[in-house]
Amino acid sequence: MSETQGSTESRHDGFYEIRMKGHLDARWAYWFEGMSLTRARDGTTVLYGPVTDQAALHGMLRKIRDLGLPLVSVIQKKKGTNP
Amino acid sequence: MNIPVLASKLYIPVPRTKVVFRPRLIERLNEGLERKLTLVSASAGFGKTTLVSQWAVGCDRAVAWLSLDERDNDLTRFFLHLIAAVQSIAESVGKSAFAAFESSQSPPIESILTVLLNEISALQFKIVLVLDDYHLIDSERIDDALLFLLEHLPPHMHLVIATRENPQLPLGRLRAGGHLTELRDADLRFTPDEAAAFLHQAIGLDLTAGEIAALESRTEGWIAGLQLAALSMQGREDIPGFIRAFSGDNRYIVDYLAEEVLQRQPEPVRRFLLQTSVLDRLHGPLCDAVTGQAEGNVRLSDLEKGNFFIVPLDDRRQWYRYHHLFADVLSAHLKADQPDHIGSLHRRASIWYERHGSADDAIRHALAAEDFTRAADLIEPACPTMAKLRQEAATLRWLKALPDELVRRRPVLSVWYAGALLTLGKSEGVEERLRDAESGLESTADSHERPDVRSASAEKVFVDEVEYRRLPGSTAMYRSALALMTGDVIGAMKYARLVLDLMPKDAYLKRGPASALLGLSSWTSGNLDEAYRLFADGMADVQRGGYISDAIGGTNALADIRIVQGRLRQAMSLYERGLQLAIEHGDPVMRGTADMYVGMGEIHRERNDLQTAMQLLQKSEEQGEHTGFPQYRYRWRVAMARVREAQGDLQSALDLLGEAERFYVGDLFPNVRPVAAMKTKVLIAQGKLREALEWARAHGLTARDELSYLREFEHITLARLLLARFRSDREYSFWHEAIGLLERLRQAAEEGERAGSTIEILILTALAHHMKGDTPAALGPLERALTLAEPEGCFRIFVDEGQPMEILLRAASKRGSAPKEYVRRLLTAFGRTEGKTSAKPAPNHSLREPLSERERDVLRLLGTELSGPDIARELMVSLNTLRTHTKNIYDKLGVNNRRAAVRRSEELDLF
Repeated sequence: MSETQGSTESRHDGFYEIRMKGHLDARWAYWFEGMSLTRARDGTTVLYGPVTDQAALHGMLRKIRDLGLPLVSVIQKKKGTNP
Repeated sequence: MNIPVLASKLYIPVPRTKVVFRPRLIERLNEGLERKLTLVSASAGFGKTTLVSQWAVGCDRAVAWLSLDERDNDLTRFFLHLIAAVQSIAESVGKSAFAAFESSQSPPIESILTVLLNEISALQFKIVLVLDDYHLIDSERIDDALLFLLEHLPPHMHLVIATRENPQLPLGRLRAGGHLTELRDADLRFTPDEAAAFLHQAIGLDLTAGEIAALESRTEGWIAGLQLAALSMQGREDIPGFIRAFSGDNRYIVDYLAEEVLQRQPEPVRRFLLQTSVLDRLHGPLCDAVTGQAEGNVRLSDLEKGNFFIVPLDDRRQWYRYHHLFADVLSAHLKADQPDHIGSLHRRASIWYERHGSADDAIRHALAAEDFTRAADLIEPACPTMAKLRQEAATLRWLKALPDELVRRRPVLSVWYAGALLTLGKSEGVEERLRDAESGLESTADSHERPDVRSASAEKVFVDEVEYRRLPGSTAMYRSALALMTGDVIGAMKYARLVLDLMPKDAYLKRGPASALLGLSSWTSGNLDEAYRLFADGMADVQRGGYISDAIGGTNALADIRIVQGRLRQAMSLYERGLQLAIEHGDPVMRGTADMYVGMGEIHRERNDLQTAMQLLQKSEEQGEHTGFPQYRYRWRVAMARVREAQGDLQSALDLLGEAERFYVGDLFPNVRPVAAMKTKVLIAQGKLREALEWARAHGLTARDELSYLREFEHITLARLLLARFRSDREYSFWHEAIGLLERLRQAAEEGERAGSTIEILILTALAHHMKGDTPAALGPLERALTLAEPEGCFRIFVDEGQPMEILLRAASKRGSAPKEYVRRLLTAFGRTEGKTSAKPAPNHSLREPLSERERDVLRLLGTELSGPDIARELMVSLNTLRTHTKNIYDKLGVNNRRAAVRRSEELDLF
């Protein structure tokens, strides 16, 4: 038990890079907890960070849907590989 | 006792301000009416709601509207609102469906929907149902139910779904079948012309074609973007400059424009917009309470006129909401600008809602404010109402949102937690919560004794005094339910007894189920009188507590007990009383009504009034399955099977029993007449002994088994099987086994005062003796059976045994020791139901040539079930000799077959 308890913090489905069209202001980082928010030169915004599980990923995608942001790509990354 | 329907959810949110008329889309929506479903599936801000509402008010059909929200993921809540929406345009629809949701165990959703669809089919006009914001529904059960609705949609009903994502429906199949019209992003996008018309209307400014094109290309026809752009251009001097800057920016349109718009608002308006973004519905006084400003209603009205992404929720403009996308933007700004302020805004909203009687909203805002003590104080008194509304899932969501230590310190909340878990079918964690409640109870009891300690720990641990005092009884009640759920019947009984000891007399809904449970336990162990008393007490409490339909449902158990006790008359008056209750409270039809008709049909069948029995079963069917309890489908089929059996149609009876078996729902009621045994009884009558034998083997039944009430019917059926084997194989050991078993069964049934069972056992005993040719030995048990059965008017229990019983009854009648009138009536039943008129013999009461002694012996044995070779063996003569005797007998009696010979000899009183 103690083993899994200690590791829940670092347990996740890996790192994800979510790219959407349009530059998103830093204030929206609140909605995507734990993800870094980078504005790329091509007019897209990239969210990058650890995603706990599939439910958390879908929650994030749903938020993007609700903001009417066109989704460009969702890529699973190996841990620590920065976009 | 149902979830209140929110009228604002049924309101078609027609914008007051002028909107762009979009004939190309209106036309497509109109054409779509020819098909089953119109799907408006597009991203946020593409004007779905505006388009559909605009179309709806101009549509020549009646349109029912339902705006969905997250809470509609509860199947019951979803369909209550859906039905209410349809009812708003077709008053006659939905009453029975509403009633079906009333009882504590709702029937399957499909049967409720079937009734609803039938009522819609009967309408004289065409209707449309719009489900807006369907993307908020994330429930497989609702998707499935909606598909059922769609597949059975009457031709004059049309469904429109507006959503941000495709619903979980087989769209490919619907598309291929030509049932689907779709409007998507590409369709809803503003064309350049529409964009021009829109900007002209919204800001009253004529832009150049180039400017419009620039805006259109930057927003890609996205309406929310264009609307924000229009708002930010209002009153602006340098519009070309704005458009240039906007077009050259990569920022998320909403971000860019919202900032422009917000910056240009006077400070009070800006503050108002940000602060009220914590509300999911806007109302003047509520906004005043939250913002500390005045005249919120004027501000809301101004916002609506100013095209500020605000949607009306009623005709009188009392309630509004922000467009979802705009609300998200506002709350993102609020979080960035005033992060520390958000909690207090929610707290103010919570207080306002508490004062205005909406516990649900008050709790939601208290939780959002993270003011958990306040939330706990609000949740506690709301729990009983939620339980009555069967909203335990919502209760559990609240409780889970509270910090666990807080719940654990509050015994009343801990008990509700356990109760909510149990109601939702979860046993895990229940015991832990109950223990928390008990230790909470102990510590507060301690502090009561020592006031110093009490004042030191000033924290309030409960607000609901009544529930707090009932805690010991409540924990016992939930322990009982928990034990039941895990199959620990003894434990369940122990705690149920404790509930009766601890709970005050007026805690009807807590005592009632406990008492009923104890009743079921007594029933299972065969103490029928006690079972009846406890169960009847329990049902009376349940009825006093307002659960009328559950009380009606309990009638089935009470009547079943009375029938086993052989008290048919009482069973009948129980059903009549149940039906009376259902009619008094049913508007239009109370749950349980269908069951009462089945029960009454059963008793009419036993009394051999097959026609009335059939009529009642038919009437029951007409009420609809949704007016029956979970076992209804099973009970109806069993009752019908027995009518078919009585009519001599054994194959139909078997088929019906097979169906009944599939519909049997395992519940707490003892299964004292298992379908498999009922089927075996019919198989035996059909002479299919091999299959019957298979049943006995599979159930491990032997004549030497220890007897128990639970297996009584199976053992009686086993005795029947042994007798049938004796008849076919002439193996005397079967006969002896049967007689031994029947004797033990009779003793057990008599001890348990189960007259109903005793009658059947005595009948089989009589038939056993008759089968062996020993009519005098048969008459004793038969007469006892007759004496027991006569006062209650039992018929079929004798008549279903067929010809051997007819012969025996005639013999009993001759002997004159049986109730004469009753036997006469029984005998007429044979002729009538078998549909054969017995050939009347010549009125000659003496024989031309008397029978010899030997011929009399043969004649007596011809009246039994014995075959020719058996009779020969019994009389120790050759088969040829027997044939000679038989031929002589036929000649003397003037008949030409065995059956006629027996009848004739009875008429002549030759036995």
